[in-house]
Amino acid sequence: MDDPPKPPAGSALDTVEEGPRTGHALPVRLAATTLRHPTVDGLRARFGASVQHHAISAGDQHVVYVEAGRNREVLRWLKQDPAQHYDLLADVTAVDFGGDRPLEVVYQLWSVPHRRALRVKCELPLAALAIDSVEPLWRTADWLEREVYDLFGIEFRGHPDLRRIMMPENYAEGHPLRKDFPLRGRFTRAEQTRRALSQDPVDQYIPTELATGREPRIPGDVPLGESEVVEPSPEPEG
Amino acid sequence: MGLDARRLPGGGTSARRDGGILGAGGPTFLTTKLDFVVNWARRSSLWPMPFGTACCAIEMMAAAASNFDLARFGMERMSFSPRQADVLICAGRVPYKLAPVLRRIWDQMPQPKWCISMGACASSGGVFDVYSMVQGIDTIVPVDVYIPGCPPRPEGLIYGLMMIQEKIREETLAEHRVLRAEDPLRAGVPEADADEVAGLTGPFGNSTRQNRVSDVARTDLADRPGDRKP
Repeated sequence: MDDPPKPPAGSALDTVEEGPRTGHALPVRLAATTLRHPTVDGLRARFGASVQHHAISAGDQHVVYVEAGRNREVLRWLKQDPAQHYDLLADVTAVDFGGDRPLEVVYQLWSVPHRRALRVKCELPLAALAIDSVEPLWRTADWLEREVYDLFGIEFRGHPDLRRIMMPENYAEGHPLRKDFPLRGRFTRAEQTRRALSQDPVDQYIPTELATGREPRIPGDVPLGESEVVEPSPEPEG
Repeated sequence: MGLDARRLPGGGTSARRDGGILGAGGPTFLTTKLDFVVNWARRSSLWPMPFGTACCAIEMMAAAASNFDLARFGMERMSFSPRQADVLICAGRVPYKLAPVLRRIWDQMPQPKWCISMGACASSGGVFDVYSMVQGIDTIVPVDVYIPGCPPRPEGLIYGLMMIQEKIREETLAEHRVLRAEDPLRAGVPEADADEVAGLTGPFGNSTRQNRVSDVARTDLADRPGDRKP
């Protein structure tokens, strides 16, 4: 058996072995072990009063409440500033505490290079349940915001495709995770059954999804089947 | 010769010592009832259509695997196409969004067909007495056998399938028209009508303040702005 040929010095394999970008040799210092979070200081310095208050939840989870009107601006800075670099949006969700308390939209962020977590919350009054979409920043927000819209009824301005994702398209009972939603739904079971069976499973999809099968829809991409239309060659005469 | 005289009446004997159906000069022909032959063929080669949505499907897979070996009873081939299936095994909870899919699969299966509701969720909704869950698939499709359990063990599923076999054994072709009557207009509509569904299920409303024997709660209260009223 011959030895496998060694990669030449300076190849891509060498580079990967030499310097991992995340710096695993450094000791893990969780930012949350201290009461001060470096990002929170930066946020306060840059956005001032828009950072409403700062809390520590479950021992080591820093929560920052941000003015809802500036959520996209704040989150863009958190993602793009080199000292912050929160490149992973782990989750977008919402909380309804019931009563007259405002709904909270929750962004759970993680910075892979800095190994820091941050939770950003925006409070929305019940009278105006709308907030800017962060889909332009993290593409994963597409489906996460659709889920929040479906179950809480929060409108995300600027979302490219805001429609229900879990409940059926013809669901007319409202948004089930609201506290005022009855546990068994608003309609009788017979009506729920009738409505469920009256829908066509094909209606759950938009034409692009049906046309391209499993291909994801990429903005700016020409859907499959439109760019590759093969013109039938004209029959030769005679 | 070990032949059951009641099931195999009559029959000539072969002149040759090694001839006949069973050898050793046995009968060269058998007479039997058409019902018996048809039912024997049907029950011995039931092809299940697995509709597994939850943990019951794990037990169903175990039943089909080598330890329990569903193939011993004629369920040799799990048919993943409803067009070539005889038994619909609904294993797991069915949300309302999946209800038209289940109904369409049932409508696509050719006659004769049977249905097994496996587990508590498929049979009654189980613990999921909530806005999103079908309270028993018998409101969607007709069910022949319910298998209790959460989830049932593979023995339970095998027992249920053998009950289907027993049911087929009792069938007669004289009742074919009644048993296999199919109305094209019924395709895609609920199996149970509205009164029946209402009778099967508890009152709707906010079940944190309401149990099955209390009155129907008011459900028209949508005190949140922006919440769509029904």
